[in-house]
Amino acid sequence: MTEVTAPASPRAVAPGTPVASVPPAPDVLLELRGLRTEFRTMDGIVRAVDGVDYAVRVGKSLGVVGESGSGKSVTALTVMRLLESNATTTGEVWFGGRELLGMSGHDIEALRGSEMAMIFQEPLTSLNPVFTVGDQIAEQVRRHKKVSKKEAWGQAIEAIRLVGIPSPERRVKQYPHELSGGMRQRVMIAMALSCEPKLLIADEPTTALDVTIQAQILELLKEIQARTGSALLLITHDLGVVAEMVDEVVVMYGGQVVERGPVEEVLIRPSAPYTVGLIESIPSVEKRGGRLHAIKGVVANPFNLPPACRFEPRCPYAWELCRTEAPPLVQISDSQVARCHLHTPAGADRRPGLEMDRARLIASEPGPVAVRP
Amino acid sequence: MGTYILRRLLQAIPVLFGITIVVYGILLAAPGGPTARFANNPRVTAADREKFKKAWGLDQPIPIQYCRWMGFCNPNVDGYSLTMFVSDQGVPQFLPAGLGGGDNGVIHGDFGISIETGEPVSVRIQRAIVPTLILAGTALVLWLTLAIFIGVVAAVKRGGVFDNVSTVFSYVGYAIPTFWLGLMLIYFFAGPGLDIFPASGMTDTRKFPAFGTDAYWTKFLAQPVAALTDLGRHLVLPVVTLVVVNIAGDSRFVRASMLESLNQDYVRTARAKGLSQRVVTFRHALRNAMLPVVTNIGLEIPFLLTGAIVTETIFSWPGVGRLTITATNSFDYPTLMGLLLIAAVATVIANLIADVTYAVIDPRIKY
Amino acid sequence: MATRKQTPVVAAVPVAAGDADLRLAEAEGVVDYDVNLQSLGQWQLAWKKFRRSRMALLGVAMLAGLVGMAIFVPLFPGMQFDFYAVPNPDVITYAGRPPSLQHIFGETGGLQRDVFQLVANGARLSLFVGFMAMFIAVFLGTIVGAFAGYFGGFADNVLMRIVDVFLSLPLLFVILVASRFFGNGNPLLIVIIFGLFSWMGVSRLVRSLFLSLREQDFVEAARAVGVSDKRIAFRHILPNALSPIIVVASLTVAGIIIAESFVSYLGFGISTLTPTWGNILSNALTFIPQGNWWWPFFPGLFIVLTVLSVNFIGDGLRDALDPRTRA
Repeated sequence: MTEVTAPASPRAVAPGTPVASVPPAPDVLLELRGLRTEFRTMDGIVRAVDGVDYAVRVGKSLGVVGESGSGKSVTALTVMRLLESNATTTGEVWFGGRELLGMSGHDIEALRGSEMAMIFQEPLTSLNPVFTVGDQIAEQVRRHKKVSKKEAWGQAIEAIRLVGIPSPERRVKQYPHELSGGMRQRVMIAMALSCEPKLLIADEPTTALDVTIQAQILELLKEIQARTGSALLLITHDLGVVAEMVDEVVVMYGGQVVERGPVEEVLIRPSAPYTVGLIESIPSVEKRGGRLHAIKGVVANPFNLPPACRFEPRCPYAWELCRTEAPPLVQISDSQVARCHLHTPAGADRRPGLEMDRARLIASEPGPVAVRP
Repeated sequence: MGTYILRRLLQAIPVLFGITIVVYGILLAAPGGPTARFANNPRVTAADREKFKKAWGLDQPIPIQYCRWMGFCNPNVDGYSLTMFVSDQGVPQFLPAGLGGGDNGVIHGDFGISIETGEPVSVRIQRAIVPTLILAGTALVLWLTLAIFIGVVAAVKRGGVFDNVSTVFSYVGYAIPTFWLGLMLIYFFAGPGLDIFPASGMTDTRKFPAFGTDAYWTKFLAQPVAALTDLGRHLVLPVVTLVVVNIAGDSRFVRASMLESLNQDYVRTARAKGLSQRVVTFRHALRNAMLPVVTNIGLEIPFLLTGAIVTETIFSWPGVGRLTITATNSFDYPTLMGLLLIAAVATVIANLIADVTYAVIDPRIKY
Repeated sequence: MATRKQTPVVAAVPVAAGDADLRLAEAEGVVDYDVNLQSLGQWQLAWKKFRRSRMALLGVAMLAGLVGMAIFVPLFPGMQFDFYAVPNPDVITYAGRPPSLQHIFGETGGLQRDVFQLVANGARLSLFVGFMAMFIAVFLGTIVGAFAGYFGGFADNVLMRIVDVFLSLPLLFVILVASRFFGNGNPLLIVIIFGLFSWMGVSRLVRSLFLSLREQDFVEAARAVGVSDKRIAFRHILPNALSPIIVVASLTVAGIIIAESFVSYLGFGISTLTPTWGNILSNALTFIPQGNWWWPFFPGLFIVLTVLSVNFIGDGLRDALDPRTRA
């Protein structure tokens, strides 16, 4: 395990230090192993990410689902090494056969924007207001490719065209505040794709947009993924988005992975109580007239986490074991894991409760989860 | 854009009028009035005072005096009447002299005669402007450059040694009264027995004639290096005084602006694009941070014309600031009004320039 | 701020096989955590934050020391200032003795007064001018700003044009002139003049505060219930605007103290009948070539200390009253 301090520029391990572990298989583009990120704050040390493992295969997509405070965004920022200097990270992040956390700042900067790119939630504040959008795209192109100014500009126009913005030659000279929210997000996507990255990280790309625009952006992302063959790491709090977009899904709660697996399996056979709760909370036409379901309680406070299972205070299936022993990540099937005592021998006799709720849930839903427009 | 400027200029005119009225009122309504300068002089009789007043037109009601000073009223017509707006040639007084109007007053370019020295006010002011420009200009450029440098470095390396030290210096520097620092510097560098830097004046009068006179310029051209060195030596103490006190506020402002900029989302995006830390800081963050700073600089420009009143007094620098003090001391109303008008115009124009500049460099602003 | 205590779950709902009830529905008597929410009032929270800032506390200590000096030192024998008491009438141009045990800040030149006595007495007037003028300025500025900001429209326009005129005046210039011509050395008049020329910044701030606060829902609610405009402005909006006003007020004191020292130094301010730090300095310049550094040094030092302490307090207040900073 290499122990390093983010952010990118300074690193605690000399470059070239041999890493203890073995790189993943070549078809695994991104792999997180035992990732832990802590922040030093005025009120103490907060562990926002606590032992997270997941992987994205080349050309595939992974969705990370969780509420605010679950650590899903921090994980992504850790991968890109974009955290502030008060963050400490341990674990390993493997990307394209190289370990990222031990890399020098120089090397990381070369990777960012070229092989892995990220788009953020708020496109207005994420774009620099004093430069034209063309400027900002061209800047990235020139950083990573040795092309002339004119060529970079041409590529910027092309990128804007590819994300579906009409009259790109005109748009490219405009400033971010002159574009609508949906167009700004498209520009962010164009910027991210301008250097043909192998991995695109999208951090809640549609949360700040109108519902109608959301659908368009998601369509765009799917189309781009199909066209360019890049992998997609999609972070969202919206299960409906995940159902449409990704191959595999990771559910996070309180900084930990509570469920992981192919999206159809997780949605049809949710095994962590939290996931069950999430699915149950999705409103649909069939439930008309009934009460909206919400997971009781409040999101775990990172400064004051429950001692054993973090979801225990809100879990309808919890019993004494959940308060004294932290549940392990249990292999449910070949490809699915869930973090819950119910799936260990100790919880065997309580498991039917979960299974029955699950069955009832699935029965009332037509097919995989109803997708939100 | 042009209409915006025009509109602002038109709005400025009533403000300027208002300013002149207010100050004229203060000056002339002061207890003792214009003859207060003679208050302690027993040899000046009441009759003398009346003669003085009549000669300077001070016996007229204040509104008429103001009107004459502006150039709307005919100085040859006494008392209230409609004819006071009419020139000797029979046309409205405010018209240019060429068209038969008057040649007095501000709108005709005449600032009156100085009561103290008898010279035209405009001559006195002109003579004082260049020294002020030299002193204030040097100080301004120096402290702005340093303030930007210090502010940016302190923000980029927030919490570091440089930041903490510069913060302490800023607080202290901001608290120091200019004149006190000047006095202390004089003691240390030009105190008894010392002559590291001169304590007063612009030039060494033993070697050079007074600054600004023709004799001075002849000597200057003859020995440029010596003259410049002499001038430079005289500049050091007053400039240091001004820089130390003013750099504090500006550097903290730059720092705050830079910190705000560095915290923005677009900085994170820029890093995510793979740009180097240097590019992110100096191209993305700094550019945005400079917007409010530039506006602030624009507002400091009138300083070049109003001068550093106290610093010039302490160091006997023959500039506009010192002129203000001597004119105030001798109740020289015409000079004071002239100085004030220049200061007011400078402030109004500087505000306008600051706003326009901001509109130009920030693409989000639509004028 | 919430303090959370962990208490055991009160009644666990048994998960029995065959229990078809929705476990996902609300179960009776299940308590997750005993959340003890202690909400602190706005002022208590601010006080707590203020106490944390070492700088602010240092400022308070310094200011307390200065005020203490101003109040108590002149009560001691020999420490009263008497304009007409000339210690040594035979020696007129003596440059004064440097600091010693008898005169801890040294002696002035000329009349050979004890500098410490001067500084302590000067503190009274300088501090008084600073705070009194600030009160006048804040009072005026708040009223004008509140009026303009709350009623808007024509009144706002007129008032703001007036403010613009005042702000376009080179203030130092005008204060100098006004102090010279109207003040005549009288401390009370000087205080009023300073107050009259310092209210503009406050009024602008208050106006913008009122402009934004009056759009808030609580104002609409008050209006809907029939509360009169005047009452809304003063009882409802003003308390919410207090924090920035307090901060500006504290920073104004610093500005006024320095301005007063300028003006008095130049001889336009308070006459030397009563000492202020500024007018103590006005004679000191001529004695510097004779080597007397302590006469100008100590009054100035105290000006610096006062301004520093006020600025520390002002910054501390700003951070404490800012709702965004955590306690």
